[in-house]
Amino acid sequence: MTNVSQLNNVKERAVRIGKPTPLVGIISEPADFDPERPAVLLFNSGVMHHIGSCRLSVKLARAFASIGNLAIRFDFSGIGDSEPRRGTLSFEESAPKEAAEVMDYLQRKRGIKKFVLYGLCSGADASYETALADERVIGFAQIDPYCYRTPRYHLNYYASRFFVLEHWISSAKRLSRKITGAGNNKSPAEVAGIDDAYFEIPTYVRVFPPREQVASGLRKLVDRRVANCVFVTGSEADYNYEAQYVDSFKEISFGGLLKFKYLAESNHILTDPRHQNLVVDRMSSWLKGLSDSVVGAENAAAKAA
Amino acid sequence: MNPFFFGDSSQPLYGVHHPATAAARDEGVVLCQAFGQECMRSHRAMRQLALLLTKKGYHVLRFDYRGTGDSALEMQDVDANYWLADLDNAVEELREMSGVSKISVVGLRLGALIAGVGCARRDDINRLIIWDPILSGADYLRELKAEISAVDESSGNFEDKDGCVHFNGFALPAKFQAGLEKFNLHETDPKSVAEIYQAVSHDNPSFQALKKAWEKHPRFHYRMTPAPHDWNFVDVFGGILLPQPIIQAIVNWME
Repeated sequence: MTNVSQLNNVKERAVRIGKPTPLVGIISEPADFDPERPAVLLFNSGVMHHIGSCRLSVKLARAFASIGNLAIRFDFSGIGDSEPRRGTLSFEESAPKEAAEVMDYLQRKRGIKKFVLYGLCSGADASYETALADERVIGFAQIDPYCYRTPRYHLNYYASRFFVLEHWISSAKRLSRKITGAGNNKSPAEVAGIDDAYFEIPTYVRVFPPREQVASGLRKLVDRRVANCVFVTGSEADYNYEAQYVDSFKEISFGGLLKFKYLAESNHILTDPRHQNLVVDRMSSWLKGLSDSVVGAENAAAKAA
Repeated sequence: MNPFFFGDSSQPLYGVHHPATAAARDEGVVLCQAFGQECMRSHRAMRQLALLLTKKGYHVLRFDYRGTGDSALEMQDVDANYWLADLDNAVEELREMSGVSKISVVGLRLGALIAGVGCARRDDINRLIIWDPILSGADYLRELKAEISAVDESSGNFEDKDGCVHFNGFALPAKFQAGLEKFNLHETDPKSVAEIYQAVSHDNPSFQALKKAWEKHPRFHYRMTPAPHDWNFVDVFGGILLPQPIIQAIVNWME
């Protein structure tokens, strides 16, 4: 028995972080480990355990480690292999604290001072909140982060439906249901057709904050020069064109800090392997560029000193 | 609870050992996971089963087969027979780490097929529990391919030019399928297993057919405990199944 796994040029290690109720995670460590390169924290998506949707977090972590970045996929408390912790903190409050705990651990054990975060859905939200709260974060990658409708969204939406009879019929039905109050608000368990008692959904209820609040947060991150790699999938009903993300935060000048891709054909959990591969490739290339620039800047500063 | 890696150091397996929390019995339980989206959806249920068994004094080991979860390799590198070897490794590992003399195995869905075929090849398994089992690799693949043929390739469910089946986010490459097709519980005789429990959450003709084939075993038990079983549903809310009645039924029977 060991807590180490050696895969080609990537070594993996099972870790338990924190006491008395540890967070369980797997560290993927490159053969040529360099503590100057940022480490990547991969967050849970909803209640899915740390391997991520369709094992995407495993693929990402191994890809990141193979280009020289240590990566850790772990379970927040109460999810996957991590036991629930005592206390009354909501997920929004506990996630950034637990992420900071993981960063503290890597800083203490491995001397890493800079971090990049990754998350899908609730993980994307947690990465944004953690990036805001912790100055050690220099970049964050998100799949389906907070996004907002724009005038062009509405134009696209109605233009695509205007000449289609079925849409008029469904709109009329919706209006009728609204008036009569019939058939509204099915619970996730009802949608899945399963009794509530045998069905577990994330306790975190995803509510998008007001757009201005997120814009203010993103502006702070841009001011801090925090890089952002964003993917939006076709499952986002509030999204319908490539540039909508940038348009919805028009007041922010992202400069070269934002790398964005609209995966219009993809579903929310990326079941198509072609979309998974695209995400792994683009995110790895973004991380490599970011890490190289960090190490380059450190070296230049050292030379100047 | 102790997460760790074990097995061949060049292709290690990820496991989670749950030590007994009550007066320890001389029996350990290896849990064989389902595959793909079914594994994602049942992770919590298997963990819950492990915790309940530890409270009854069993040592429990959950593990990921090669090409799945946190274990080494991608499915492209895996032969279905590897999974039988992985089960063997898990049995030895649990015996060694817990010091128990008796090992039992619980398998869910495709994990039940692996457990059934794997345990029948050994002569040291005390009890075998197959939960909502997939009875035949060939039938399973036929069903997946039938579902795939009914949807557009843009759904992400498709068979590629190399014969790899992509279904709900997970791949079953041709090489793996070739091995899996040979696994069939109807053609398996688990006579060396001391006791067998077929736990089903619903009734269907194939479960009944297996019951008929296996009830000649002197200590075969069959029990239907109604519980949710839509393991392969792709849930946009990220919800997972926690079918308590059947988990409890398995624990009760084990006890």
